[in-house]
Amino acid sequence: MTEGTFLTEIFEHFFDPKKRVFFGYLLVSIFLALGWLVFFRNKSFKKAITKIFDIKILFSRSARADYKVFLINRVFMIFLSPYLLSQMVVATSIYYFLHSIPLFKTSHFPEIPANAVALLFTLSYFIFDDFTKYWVHRFMHKWPVLWALHKVHHSAETLNPITVYRTHPLEGVVFSIRGAFTQGIVISFFIYVFGNKVDLVTILGVNVFVFAFHIAGSNLRHSHIGIQYWSWLEKLIISPAQHQLHHSIDLRHYDKNFGATLALWDWIFGSLHHSEDVDSLVLGIEEDHIDHQSLRDLYIHPLKEILQISLSGFRGVKSIFTIFKT
Amino acid sequence: MKKLIILVSSLFFVTEAFAHHFYNKFPVTLKGYSGSKTNSVSYSGQIARHVLHDSLKKLAGKGDGGSNAASLEAQMMMYFKGSKEDLDIIAPKTKGDFKIKQTTLNQISKGKNLSGKTYKGIINGWPGQMTGPEVIEFMIKKAAKTKGGFDPSTGYNYPQLISKFAMGAVFYNQSVDNYLDEKMTADNKPNNKPYKDGAHYTGKEHSWDEAFGYWGAASHGLGLDAKQNYNVTKMKDMAAADQNKDGVVDLKHEMNFAHAYYAASYDKGGKTNYYNTVTQAFLDGRKIIAGAKGDALSAKERAALAGHIAIINENWEKVIAESVFKYAGSVYKDIVKLEEILASNGNTDKQFSKYGKHWGELKGFALALQTGKSNLGETAVKLNRLTGFGPVLMNASQVTGVDSQGNYLKEEAQSWGEFKLHMLKIQKLMVDKFGVKAKASDMLSDMADLASKMGNSDSAEND
Repeated sequence: MTEGTFLTEIFEHFFDPKKRVFFGYLLVSIFLALGWLVFFRNKSFKKAITKIFDIKILFSRSARADYKVFLINRVFMIFLSPYLLSQMVVATSIYYFLHSIPLFKTSHFPEIPANAVALLFTLSYFIFDDFTKYWVHRFMHKWPVLWALHKVHHSAETLNPITVYRTHPLEGVVFSIRGAFTQGIVISFFIYVFGNKVDLVTILGVNVFVFAFHIAGSNLRHSHIGIQYWSWLEKLIISPAQHQLHHSIDLRHYDKNFGATLALWDWIFGSLHHSEDVDSLVLGIEEDHIDHQSLRDLYIHPLKEILQISLSGFRGVKSIFTIFKT
Repeated sequence: MKKLIILVSSLFFVTEAFAHHFYNKFPVTLKGYSGSKTNSVSYSGQIARHVLHDSLKKLAGKGDGGSNAASLEAQMMMYFKGSKEDLDIIAPKTKGDFKIKQTTLNQISKGKNLSGKTYKGIINGWPGQMTGPEVIEFMIKKAAKTKGGFDPSTGYNYPQLISKFAMGAVFYNQSVDNYLDEKMTADNKPNNKPYKDGAHYTGKEHSWDEAFGYWGAASHGLGLDAKQNYNVTKMKDMAAADQNKDGVVDLKHEMNFAHAYYAASYDKGGKTNYYNTVTQAFLDGRKIIAGAKGDALSAKERAALAGHIAIINENWEKVIAESVFKYAGSVYKDIVKLEEILASNGNTDKQFSKYGKHWGELKGFALALQTGKSNLGETAVKLNRLTGFGPVLMNASQVTGVDSQGNYLKEEAQSWGEFKLHMLKIQKLMVDKFGVKAKASDMLSDMADLASKMGNSDSAEND
């Protein structure tokens, strides 16, 4: 790999419409933020601009840690990605398995037109993907080992679009496994049932629903612009302010709003919380003995914590055996 | 005068440059040869066998359902076992502007047969524990009794079975397991002696030419692209076929036969280069032999030849594996269509016949793959089990053996779903064991295309 291609790979997300931080989506987000502040918060244009590009937030110590983590993780993932589970491995295994179920026959539904199949596939994938994201995220908060990793993300004290990359590399591996299974399951089922009529409906090469999510300002989820939706809509789609509340330090906001795009899952599974004024929120996590913005603690501390949890678990199992012995 | 010299010399260079691409002329190097022959290249016997094979395939589809069985069987046997009398060429025959020079076999070579050159080992993938020649005779007898070569009660398509198996059992086996194998050792057919008494070519020259002849490439094929080579066999490109521009296609060196044709068919997809790789290796090997100038080959020369032989063996095997891959995909697709027709209570006859044809091609190529130089061991066992002795039939039965009278035995078969899974596993086997690249009718390609369109999610992003 040459230096040139290496650098291109590191920053390619800004030029890839499949990625949230694609410069086009960032630009759209700026306009949305501007519109929100001017028309819904009655700020002057100048004040709105000053608020959006608030140096204290965009260059806070927390934000600077985000940028460093982004760069380091990109390097990690470039080298790690060839070894990660691919969706094709999952898809092929399930596809093979489906052939051996006598009751489940492929008929390829010749009467259903190809564009209907494509739309159904695209929508199904979007919904299923969002559903698995909800549950993996929920487990990230509920299971101590996973929370040790996920805390890296929640240790951000200010939010900006790059905070999306403030993730421990091991958590990145967990996410990639989720992605492989989600894609593998949907692809194999659809191809088995509908054959080569299955296609992804795209805009700029991106799933049309994902594109809509990004155009609707997905980057503002991690920002200080607290766009709120109508109450009814916040039960269906997570507003930026709802996600910002998810980052709040307040006990009332713990384990709320796990959803990625749809709030539906939070609503159904009882973790929904409507948005509040973001400027009154304190973000981050309460843990005083470590420096949440130092790279060393961001990368190493979760590993130490996982080791401690594992050891205490091991001691726990051992003590059970001791009870049996005595 | 100067211009004339330049013109003549440039023409010479152009001719020389082309000559390097052609496998049609190498000097006589045999020491002590005093005859008038100037070209040591000779493989007309192999071309005669290609023509016997093409003709036999055509005849295998000529049955009328029983009344011509005896005469058709006798006729087919002549093309398989040879005949004292000259035989008409049944295929390839002149088609429109595509005029074939020869019309009878003796115009190519006299006294040739297929049976004497068919692999003599047991064919485990076919019921009855028969040898190669026995399998073909058995198929010929069955084919003669069918209507159009297809037997709906077993799903067997004999023209395909006979043709695809014979291509392996005769051409591939003779070339890689005989001429390029034992006949390339130092003491067997040495280069400092004639191939046989009275021949004007040496032992090694002719052994190599015979191996090339079985491969089936036209002598000028390296100068054509894959599509042209493919269309030569399809008799659709007279300009490409008629190298010497005499208005007719000389089967002896202007036609692509058998596996060379299949190589071109895959290469035209752009992912592989089997035709040129194998043909070039044959040409380069022949240059080494010619370079020895009638002396016995040195250890260094034989080592260089071994390098070319390895390329030929590997790529030829891949061409057959690509064919197995392709037809496993075709069979899968045929079953899906049959299921669709069944679901709508339609008539499956036509689709069933297509399915039988593709399964026959799959089976023939799968058997052919096992007639090469090396024992495929476990891969062969897997391939034979996955393919089955016969296709799964509409009444969910399948041929599982033959009785002592040569009648097929049938038993309950696996489900359609399982049989489809077998086809997928055959494709995987061809990828894993032979590294096929062209992958025609890849049943997993739809999934792979979709997966790449969706992109992977291997970045650390926290929604």
